[in-house]
Amino acid sequence: MTEAVTTRIQTTLAQQMAQPGGRTLADVERRANERLGRHKAEVMVEVEAAVAGLEGLCVAQPETPAGEVYRLATRVLDLAGFFETGPLFDAGYSLADMADRMAAADAWEWPPVQVHVQALRLILNAGCERNAATDHLLAGLKAVAGKTGA
Amino acid sequence: MSEDRINLEQSTVLLVDDTPQALDMLSSIFQGFGVKEQIKCPSAVEAVKVVQQRSVDLIVIDCGDPEMDGYAFTRWLRRETPAPLRYTPVILVTGHAAQSKVQEGRDCGVSFVIAKPLTPAVLLKRILWLGADEREFVECETYVGPDRRVRNFGPPVGMAGRRKGDLSAHVGHAVEANMDQADIDMLLKPQRVSL
Repeated sequence: MTEAVTTRIQTTLAQQMAQPGGRTLADVERRANERLGRHKAEVMVEVEAAVAGLEGLCVAQPETPAGEVYRLATRVLDLAGFFETGPLFDAGYSLADMADRMAAADAWEWPPVQVHVQALRLILNAGCERNAATDHLLAGLKAVAGKTGA
Repeated sequence: MSEDRINLEQSTVLLVDDTPQALDMLSSIFQGFGVKEQIKCPSAVEAVKVVQQRSVDLIVIDCGDPEMDGYAFTRWLRRETPAPLRYTPVILVTGHAAQSKVQEGRDCGVSFVIAKPLTPAVLLKRILWLGADEREFVECETYVGPDRRVRNFGPPVGMAGRRKGDLSAHVGHAVEANMDQADIDMLLKPQRVSL
């Protein structure tokens, strides 16, 4: 067992943040939210395209789908994850997680993937609002994902 | 540092994301935070070139590129670069962490992992935390990075500490007689003190 060497450091970031001045937290958060919000419409188009891509895969059912399904599911997460898209993000996460597990176990099944993709479309069309219906939907996805062979 | 203010007016931030729209959104967030300068990289490989040429104060990375992902970049930064570059704080952002990456995320030496959904408020909290970060930097054969034990409770029970400051896990025998109950009561009893 090697001995660990520990060093007490103060990073340049910490030194700079310790300087007086700057802006209030409320101000920077408001400014950041305002700038981020400008991207939402454009990004939701990209999210919609990723869901359409997943729908296409469900129809074509290629022989080695895991990588592409995972890529598109994580694309939904990467983009939608900047905004309050509650149930859409949760459904996308469930799909990415399930695809990852099925690929690792070499036990791919299309039906649970199709259910997830249909759920993503439903949530997207309903404006990504969280309500009792989407809660039921997500509970269903959890049950479906739990029953996969992976 | 005032508790309700943040000063990033002197800070240079390196943003790395292989999804162009996500990179733009990260950039917008940091514009809002009022950083002095931000450098945007579409891949970890390009980020390597940047940090080899100039210093940055914070790195935020979300990169799943098989050639070099965020975990590999951080491992390279922590192990292959000289001090103080290797101490640069790294925030790793992730949408979904594949099973095969979970342990890598723990071991690569990032300062923080932020799982999406990512809001400016969450990112701000982590940056504030980094500003006040008192964790020591640990370097050993299997790990290089900030101490993963946010609170140092010493080595695990029954194990000898590996760090110089770690106390012995062996308690040993008492070196003086036990106090009797009256002495203990006296310690606990409130007493009027005349000044």
